[in-house]
Amino acid sequence: MLKNYIKLAFKVMLRKKYFTFLTLVGISFTIMIITITAAFIDQIVGASDTEPNRGRTLVLKEVFLMKDDRGRPDEVSLPFLQRYITTLRTPERISIYRDGGYVSARNGVPRAHRLKYSDENFWSITNFKFLEGRPFDARQVKNASRVVVISEELKDYYFGEGNAAGKIIELFGIPFRVIGVVKSAPLLSDAGSDAWIPYTADPAPVPPPAEWPTIHGQYKAMLLARSGEDAEKVKAEIDARMRKIVPPNPQFTSVKANALTALQHFAKVRNSDPDPDFAQLFTALFACLFLFLLIPVISLINLNISRISERAAEIGVRKSFGASSSTLAGQFIVENIILTLTGGLIGVILAYLFSDALILMLNAFDPLFQISFGQFILSWRVVAFCIGCCCFFGFLSGVYPAYRMSKMHPVNALKGNNL
Amino acid sequence: MIKLTDVEKVYRTSTIETMALSKVNIVINKGEFVSIMGPSGCGKSTLLNIMGLLDEPSSGKIEIDNTLISGYADKRLAHMRNQKLGFIFQSYHLINDLSVVDNVEIPLLYRKGVSGSERRKKALEALEKVGLNSRTKHYPNQLSGGQRQRVAIARAIVGNPEIILADEPTGNLDSVMGEEIMNIMLQLNKTEGTTIVMVTHDENMANKTERVIRFFDGRQVN
Repeated sequence: MLKNYIKLAFKVMLRKKYFTFLTLVGISFTIMIITITAAFIDQIVGASDTEPNRGRTLVLKEVFLMKDDRGRPDEVSLPFLQRYITTLRTPERISIYRDGGYVSARNGVPRAHRLKYSDENFWSITNFKFLEGRPFDARQVKNASRVVVISEELKDYYFGEGNAAGKIIELFGIPFRVIGVVKSAPLLSDAGSDAWIPYTADPAPVPPPAEWPTIHGQYKAMLLARSGEDAEKVKAEIDARMRKIVPPNPQFTSVKANALTALQHFAKVRNSDPDPDFAQLFTALFACLFLFLLIPVISLINLNISRISERAAEIGVRKSFGASSSTLAGQFIVENIILTLTGGLIGVILAYLFSDALILMLNAFDPLFQISFGQFILSWRVVAFCIGCCCFFGFLSGVYPAYRMSKMHPVNALKGNNL
Repeated sequence: MIKLTDVEKVYRTSTIETMALSKVNIVINKGEFVSIMGPSGCGKSTLLNIMGLLDEPSSGKIEIDNTLISGYADKRLAHMRNQKLGFIFQSYHLINDLSVVDNVEIPLLYRKGVSGSERRKKALEALEKVGLNSRTKHYPNQLSGGQRQRVAIARAIVGNPEIILADEPTGNLDSVMGEEIMNIMLQLNKTEGTTIVMVTHDENMANKTERVIRFFDGRQVN
């Protein structure tokens, strides 16, 4: 029966070319926007080839000086992390790192690059694919060796074709030897960068802040829990450590540092919130999605109702030969879902193409900071989510017309009378 | 096979009440070929729709196979139509987006436990019975009126229904084509024992059936 519905759905789509075109334009545009948004969110929170353990990787990037229940977030100092975090026992591995950047110039054209300062553990928590060479090790971090791992895009920028390992690039006017080239991470991934150097070899250290320099700074910690469940143990150990810290000023009652997964960080509605609020996040996301789908759904409902009127005789025939109202409603919903899935497929392809246009646009707005095309990655999760959206879209826009259709009196339907 | 007792059908609007059928009492026996005749608007098609469970009478009883059809829900009526009845319409009512064989398969789509291959086999057999086995992949708009009506007959018989209800099956055809369709129905009645109730305007066609029931202004006149 499903095969028959699918066959008929495509026949109807081809018969009503104008209707199909209008519908597909609406659906594909909607799905394109949803795909791009979902892909960005997925890059922020989802696991990828470079960060396969995101579900059990906690990132500690803020410390809160609490006054009763409220706190002011700030980035964390290196000494604070070295004293309280790198000495934790529950995580499998701990890495400290910070984000920065530098500007290079070639042929008089300046260009900004992302630069990450990290330790050796960074490479074992993440899973970068090395196209050349290897990551820096503990000895190189300890010795503050001037070595750098670069992304394949940065390699192309500096060296074009051929190997980069062993060659020299200048960061802040200081020569660094390239020891590895990695495949790029997704654009918004926390581990992603253009270049990585040992944090000890920082050629332009940022002076500590004037206020509570032992606590506040510019560093973050990545903590790999032994399992997803163990993440709670890590958090509990951090809490226990924090409770022992005496705040640097009597106006504060305690110190709080939250290590959260990427998803939990994303679920913090305001940056100042110490804890994630999934209920609020999902309500907001679902409400946005629903409102965004509402207008195309309403127009598709209208188009569908006029389409059903044209198929009245067919409905009458099917009812005469034994189709019940619910079977007919099911058939129409399936047909509509096939239509929306086709539109969705076009939408996903458009999103992929449009992402390049988006990157071109962003690059045009900020010529200093160039994003490479390979960094917009459409994961299977996003594609699956979009297929889910199409089914939801198809169901939502098909259910009311299908209900009206199924309630048609068979005699009226056979006479071709409208709804 | 079909028994109608005191069946009435009244169409009501806010201002007018029209009696389409008045106190109709008919018994159609198993294996009979009956035609219903009368002028336009006399209630023939309404009667056929009621017999076909496509419409409900305003009052009176319908029995099919000694089963009183009363208060049946949509699903049960649909099942009854699917199992017991086959329809042939004056304007064929084939689905233009489906091929001939797909059109014929329609009644079997709504029958549980019939696989795709079995459906196809039965549809091809039905098409063979009406002499259209060479047109299975064609679409309705590629066929003549007579061929379309033969497809409609194949669709009506594919599920081996006990009763076929034909609403002016030759009404849109010329005399030669009409004769051809009538012969197929007579053959079906004779060889398969299918009960056929046919609405027609054509006296010649009606005379070929076993019994003629005449209607005038919603009343049975013989």
